Amino acid sequence: MISRRSLLKGSVALGGAAVTLDLAGWAKAWAADDMMYAPEEGASLQLLRWKRFVQSEEDSFLALVAAFTAATGVAVEVLSESMDDVQPKASVAANVGTGPDMFWGLYSLPHLFSEKCIDVTDLCTHLGEKYGGWAPSAEVYGTSGDKWIAVPVAYNANLINFRISAMNEAGFSEMPGDLEGFLELNKALKGIGKPGGMALGHASGDGNAWVHWVLWAHGGYLVDANDEVIINSPETEAALEYARQLYEAWIPGTASWNDAFNNKAFLAEEVWLTNNGVSIYAAAKRQAAEDPKMAMIAEDMDHAFWPIGPAGKPTEFHICYPLLGMQYTRYPNAVKAFMQFLMEAEHYEPWLEGAVAYLSHSYKAGDDFAFWSADPKLVAAKPAAWRTSTAGHLGSVGEKAAAALADFIVLDMVANACSGRESVSGAIKIAERQAKRLYR
Amino acid sequence: MTRTGEPRDSAVQVTGDAADHREGIDHLETRLSRMVTLWLPLGIIMLVLLFPFYWMTLTAIKPDAELIDLDTTNPLWTWHPTFKHIYVLLFETDYPVWLWNTMSVAIGSTVLSLIASVGAAYAIVRLRYRGANWVGGAIFLAYLVPPSILFIPLAKVVFDYGLFDTPFALILTYPTILIPFSTWLLMGYFKTIPFELEECALIDGATRWQILVRIVLPLAIPGLISAFIFCFTLCWNEFIYALTFISDQSNKTVPVAIVTNFTDGDIFRWGSIMAGALVGSLPLVVLYAFFVEHYVAAMTGAVKE
Amino acid sequence: MAETPLETARRAAAPDDAASAWTRLQSNRNWLGFWFMLPAAAFLILFLAYPLGLGVWLSFTDAKVGSEGEWIGLENYEWLLGVAPVSDFLGIIANELFGTEFELEGDTTFWLSVFNTLLYTVVASAIKFAIGLYLALLLNRHMPFKAIIRAVVLIPFIVPTVLSAIAFWWIFDTQFSILTWMLQGLGAIAEDHQINWLGDETMARASVIFANIWRGVPFIAITLLAGLQTVSASLYEAAVIDGATRWQMFRYITYPLLTPIIAVVMTFSVLFTFTDFQLIWVLTRGGPFNATHLMATLSYQRAILGGYLGEGAAISTAMIPFLLAAIMFSWFGLQRRKWQHGGRDD
Repeated sequence: MISRRSLLKGSVALGGAAVTLDLAGWAKAWAADDMMYAPEEGASLQLLRWKRFVQSEEDSFLALVAAFTAATGVAVEVLSESMDDVQPKASVAANVGTGPDMFWGLYSLPHLFSEKCIDVTDLCTHLGEKYGGWAPSAEVYGTSGDKWIAVPVAYNANLINFRISAMNEAGFSEMPGDLEGFLELNKALKGIGKPGGMALGHASGDGNAWVHWVLWAHGGYLVDANDEVIINSPETEAALEYARQLYEAWIPGTASWNDAFNNKAFLAEEVWLTNNGVSIYAAAKRQAAEDPKMAMIAEDMDHAFWPIGPAGKPTEFHICYPLLGMQYTRYPNAVKAFMQFLMEAEHYEPWLEGAVAYLSHSYKAGDDFAFWSADPKLVAAKPAAWRTSTAGHLGSVGEKAAAALADFIVLDMVANACSGRESVSGAIKIAERQAKRLYR
Repeated sequence: MTRTGEPRDSAVQVTGDAADHREGIDHLETRLSRMVTLWLPLGIIMLVLLFPFYWMTLTAIKPDAELIDLDTTNPLWTWHPTFKHIYVLLFETDYPVWLWNTMSVAIGSTVLSLIASVGAAYAIVRLRYRGANWVGGAIFLAYLVPPSILFIPLAKVVFDYGLFDTPFALILTYPTILIPFSTWLLMGYFKTIPFELEECALIDGATRWQILVRIVLPLAIPGLISAFIFCFTLCWNEFIYALTFISDQSNKTVPVAIVTNFTDGDIFRWGSIMAGALVGSLPLVVLYAFFVEHYVAAMTGAVKE
Repeated sequence: MAETPLETARRAAAPDDAASAWTRLQSNRNWLGFWFMLPAAAFLILFLAYPLGLGVWLSFTDAKVGSEGEWIGLENYEWLLGVAPVSDFLGIIANELFGTEFELEGDTTFWLSVFNTLLYTVVASAIKFAIGLYLALLLNRHMPFKAIIRAVVLIPFIVPTVLSAIAFWWIFDTQFSILTWMLQGLGAIAEDHQINWLGDETMARASVIFANIWRGVPFIAITLLAGLQTVSASLYEAAVIDGATRWQMFRYITYPLLTPIIAVVMTFSVLFTFTDFQLIWVLTRGGPFNATHLMATLSYQRAILGGYLGEGAAISTAMIPFLLAAIMFSWFGLQRRKWQHGGRDD
C-alpha cells in the first residue's frame, strides 16, 4: 500500500499522462483488494455536481472517474450545474423520486431531505479511521443523528486575497489578524487609491462568506443552539457598524457584485484586496506565461486568514461540498463504491492537487498531502475544514439554515446597514422578522 | 381589403410638404428639415437599438486580454479578431445540441399552437357559435396570465404528468403563451377573407373542415406565416419555464444553457457567452430579414378589425 | 379532427337516435364550434387554467419543494402583507419616494418588490409608449431602404431577452463599462470616475428600466406602424386642404384612429413589464439591496431557491389584482375614448 502510494506521488510530479496510467493500474488493484462494496451487475451512475471553478480540477476529476470506470466497469456520467442550481434540482429529484443517483452540492444540502439519502455510516466510519479522523465541521455536515448521510468531500476555502505591494504601500508589513488592524488597512488602501472590495450583491459564495465572518467575529449569531432567533443583539449591531466602515473604505459598486466581479476587478487591478477562493491566483498563474501583467499579479498577491474578532476564535465560513447518494438509485453499492474510490488518498490527493488548492481536504491525513508544501501562497487554504464554522453556526444544519442562506437574510441585513438604506436597528429588525418565520 | 404593406406612408409626407410649401421654404431646406425631423432622430434611435448587438458581436470576437483592458486599446474596435470563442462554443461544448433542442421545441410548440389557434380563430370568427364572443374574450384574457405567475404551480403539474426534464415539458406548456396571441392575430386575418367564397363552397356541399383546409387556409398563408414567426420568436426567447422544468444538460435550450453553462463558478467567459448569444440570435435574425414585411402586413390585417 | 373522437362522442351523446345525432354533431354550429375550439381549450385548461387555480390553492398552504404542504389559510398573505396592507402600501411608497422612515407591519422585501414593480411598469411603459409611437410615426414616412430599416428596428425584439440582458450586464459592468468609457472619452465625467450602474439603487433602477425600454420599443413601434398603415391617406389630404397643422392632424386624425390598437398594445406592454423576470434575473437578481427585486423575481427566489413554494405562490397570486387593475384601466379607459369618437363596441 505504502509503496504504491509513494510510487504514485513520484509519478504525479512527472505529469498528467503518467498519473492517469498509474491511477488506472492502481484502481484495478484497489477494486480487487480494498473495495468495500461490490457494484451491482451492469450498474451505471449519474452524478450532478457543482460547476467547476478551475479547469484542471475538472480534468483530474474526470480522470478519476475514468479510472473508476476502468476498474469496476461502472460508467459514471458527470453533469454540472451552477452552484446555485444544484440545491433546487436535488430537492426536486428527492421529491419526485427520480433523477441523478448522486448529488454533489453545497453546505447543508443532504439535510434538506436527510431521510432520502443513502446511509453511508459504514463507509465514513471506515474512511475516518483510516485517514486520521474527519474535521469536526465535516462531521456536522455529513451526519444526521447518529447516521452519516453524505460524504463531506472537500472544502472551498474563502480567504482574503490581497496584493502584497499595495499592503506594504499602505504601511502594513503583513495582514493584520485583528479587526481594528484590518479596518485600518482597508482605510489606508483607500487612501493610496488602491481600494479593496467584497461582494454585497446576491453572491452566494463570496458574499455569504464575508458577511457571516463579520457577524460571527463580533459574536453575533442568527440563532442559538436551540434554533431560537437571537440576531437582535448588541454584538450584531457592532458587527454592522464595523461592516459599514469597511464598506465605506471600499471601491464603490460592491453592492452589485456577484461572485465573479471581484475576480475580474482584482485581475484588472481595480481592487487590491478582496475575498475569494484561490481561483484568482490560479487564473493569474495560468495566464502568466503569455501575459507579463498576470505573472506580476501572481507574484505580488497572497492569501491570508480572516482576522479574529471579540469572538476569540476563527469565524471563517468556507463552503463545504458534501456528496450524497439518493435512496431511489438502483445501484446503491455502486454509489458507495464510487464514494470510497473518490476518498481514497491515492485518488483524493491528485484530484485535490488538480484543484490547485481551490479545494481543501476534509480528513486529517490530508495535512500530509505533498502539494500543500509546493506553494507557500496556498497554505492558508490548508486548514479550511478545521477553521470553518458550519451554516447556522450554533444552530442546526438543516433546511432552515439552508433557507436562511438562500434567502440572503444575513447578506441583506449587512447590505441594508452598509448602504444606509436602513438604520442598523432597522436592518436587524427586518432580518429578525424573516429569520423568525424560517425558524418557526 | 388589401393587407400587404403597400406604401401608405405618403400621409405624413404629404403634410410635411404642404406645410413647407405654405411657409415658402425652398427645396434645399426641405431636405434639411427632412434631415432634422426624420433621419437624425431615426439615426439616433437605431444607433441605440443596435449598439448592444454590436457590442455583443465585438465581444464575441475579441481576444480575452482586450476584454478587460480599457486603457491601452480602443474597446470599440479590435484589430485582432479571433474566432476562438466561436470555435470553442461550437466544437467544445454542447452548443449544437442546445441549438437543436431550442429549434425542435420551438417548431413543435409553434406547430401545435398554430393548429389549435386556426381552429379556435375560425370557430370564433366564422362559426359564430353560441358564446363565441365570450370565448374570444376568455382567450384574450388567457394571454394576460403571465408565465411568472404560473411557473410554480405548473412545475407541480409538469411533475404530475411525468413531463419533468423532457422536451415535452416545454413543447406542451409553451402553447399557453402562444395560442392567445396567434388566435387573436388569425381572427383579424380570417375576418378579411370574403364570406362569399365560403358560402359558395357550402352550397356546393363542402363541410366546414373542407372549407377551412381548402379555401380559408390557403388564403390566410401570410397570416399564418406571421403567426408562425411570432410564436417561434416567443419560444426561442422563453426563459423561466425552460429554467424551471429542464434540468438535464442535454435537454437545455440556448438561453438557459448560456446563462448556466458559461460561468466557471466565479469566472464568466464573456467571449463564449457573447458568441453563444450571437449565434443563438442568428436564426431569428435571418427569419425576420426575410419576413419582416409579412409581419407588419399581418399585424396591419389583425389590427384592422 | 379525426373520426374516432367524433364517433365516441356520438355514442355517448345520443344513444337512441345515432344517425341524427351524428348529423347534428357534424353540422350544428355550436357543436362544430366546440370541435374546432377543442385543441386550444385543452391546452389552455390543462396548462393554464388548472395551474392558475393550483397556484392560488398553493398560496394557502405551506408547501415546500420537498413536501406536500398543509392548508394554512391566509398565513402566507398575513406574513407578506402584514395586518395593515393599505398603510404598508402607502408607507413603502412614502419611504421610497420621499425618504420617510415608516415602519412596515408586513414583509419589507415583499412591499419593496411591489413598489419596484409598480415603478418599473409605470416608468418603462410610459417611455416605451412615447418612443414607440414616435418611432412608428417616423417609420411610416416615405424613405429609401424601408424594409431593411424596419428589420433592423426589430432586432432588439428578436434577440432572446436573456442574451441581450447578458450583453447589457457587460455594458453596465462597474469596472469595465463601455458606457463609462465613452462618457469619460467625451469628457462628460472625470477620467477616474466610475459610474456605479448596477450598484447604486437609483442607477440600478434606471439601468434595468433602460434595458426594458430598449427591448420593448420595437414591438410597440412595429405594431403601431401596422396601425398607422390602416389610416386612410385621404383623411390627411382632406385635413391639409382644411389647413390643419401637423399637430392637429396627429391629435384629431391619427391618434383617435389609432386608439384601439394603442389599447391592445399597451395592455400587453404593461402586463409584460409588470411580470418581467428574465431581465432582472440576469442583470441584478434583485439587488442592490433588493432595489430591483420585482414580484416575479422575489417569488422565484422564495419558491425555487429558498424552497418555500407556498409563499412564492402567494407572491405570484398577489400580482393578479394589480394585473386586473391594469387591464381594466387600459382597456376601459381607452375603450371609452373609442366610443366617444364613434367607434363600435366590439
